[in-house]
Amino acid sequence: MRATVYSGRNTVQVENVPDPKILNDRDAIVKITSTAICGSDLHLYDGYIPTVKKGDIFGHEFMGEVVETGRGVSNLSVGDRVVVPFPIACGNCWACKHELYSVCENSNPNAGLAEKAFGHPTAGIFGYSHLTGGYAGGQAEYARVPFADVGPIKVEDDLSDEQVLFLSDIFPTGYMGAEFCEITGGEAIAVFGAGPVGQFAIASAKLLGAERIIAIDQLDYRLQMAVNRAGATDVINFAEDPDIVEQLKELTGGRGPDAVIDAVGMEAAHGHGALHAVDRVKQATRAESDRGHALRDAILACRPGGIVSVMGVYGGLMDKFPTGALMNKGLTIKTGQCHVQRYTKPLYERIKKGEIDPSFVVTHRLELGMAPDGYETFKHKQDECMKVVLKP
Amino acid sequence: MGPKAAITVHRSREEVQRLWESSEYRPEYTRGTDAAVTFTDAPGDRGTEIHVDLEGSTSGGKLGEVVKKVTGAAPLAKVKDDLRRFKQHVETGEIPRSDGSPEGERAERKLKQRPAQPLEDSELEKAGAS
Repeated sequence: MRATVYSGRNTVQVENVPDPKILNDRDAIVKITSTAICGSDLHLYDGYIPTVKKGDIFGHEFMGEVVETGRGVSNLSVGDRVVVPFPIACGNCWACKHELYSVCENSNPNAGLAEKAFGHPTAGIFGYSHLTGGYAGGQAEYARVPFADVGPIKVEDDLSDEQVLFLSDIFPTGYMGAEFCEITGGEAIAVFGAGPVGQFAIASAKLLGAERIIAIDQLDYRLQMAVNRAGATDVINFAEDPDIVEQLKELTGGRGPDAVIDAVGMEAAHGHGALHAVDRVKQATRAESDRGHALRDAILACRPGGIVSVMGVYGGLMDKFPTGALMNKGLTIKTGQCHVQRYTKPLYERIKKGEIDPSFVVTHRLELGMAPDGYETFKHKQDECMKVVLKP
Repeated sequence: MGPKAAITVHRSREEVQRLWESSEYRPEYTRGTDAAVTFTDAPGDRGTEIHVDLEGSTSGGKLGEVVKKVTGAAPLAKVKDDLRRFKQHVETGEIPRSDGSPEGERAERKLKQRPAQPLEDSELEKAGAS
């Protein structure tokens, strides 16, 4: 089959590789019909996530048709149309029983490796380094899906691929980010980053009843989408004025947002001049893995007693973390890779009812063979790129 | 911290102890050592803790050195593999395999990962996964 394979920093190629096979009873093989490039794939592509190897197949947002099932999979049949959550979860361990699927205790066969990096292993993830298991990803023609009796959600309604594809990651991820904010109605929520996860965090905050939603980015086309499609009420373009914290206070009557969502992660674009330069150099020389302006500003801007919801991906260590502000303001931090399996059904229902149509983020549709162009266009935000969908 | 390892299995103590002794689930490496193994109830609904102590075990001494030379992994790492595989087998019914680690959790694989792409049939056979 053809697959998108990492071949060194800033390079992917579409190559022929062996077809996946059933290796365990609870596996299924899915013939992929749509797959997307995620912002977090760029962290791999840029070489900032440790344990990515040349030859690894990328891709953790995918859907398709079941073509084979193992003996232990009774809920799926050949021909079923499914969306596959990016975390691989067994459904049996204590974490899964408590719906903490992205920290499944069993699905990562490189637990020993992950333990060295993070203290504990986390769940396996498709196409997302060897720390998360070394599983082949879904930017390919086929994928092997372990624990297929737990993760995949069947699509039985007349919905297009692009309407349901993002149940695999970015819609639930944005939704969990908003849910962390404990919205009961009337809150002011700031969302750092108006990329795809930011768009869904904004849309979800609106669904949950937030009154004022402030989108923060440096690209106008992203801020425009945040207002026109996702439901942001205000925007901050930090390319025009870098003092995000002051602008957020200004927009919230001096109090600060009730909760802030970091939908940026480890490769934040901008910060206060000198600090950004130091971070940039330290990250480029691998002395620091996480460039943290967004998270620092999020903590500084959040109102006392508020919530900081971190959905942007971090990979290792960060310097100059504002512990003083965090502690003295009495903030609560909530974070994690999304427990996608917890959200697929309720969010599928919302799509079905027409409460949201996630396809609004798609700007680029490419044949799988064009994946290298897709990565470059997305990385450099060319052609007003928001989301690239690949068609095998 | 001495040569100790522990894991919690989401099952009752009776079941965990029975499976630990059974031929199907038997943790081969650990059972081959004279490590001290204890089972205790985990707090709340958390199942059963298995504690393995290699302190004073001969396998941590000279024999351990031989094991390390032959397999490339230290005895404690092999015990941890055993514990994880036992937990996986008991809780999920299988040993999760990936393309990078087709045999499932193994200390020897830690630094010798395959690329994460599907294996050829010959490789699958070698990994015992065909």
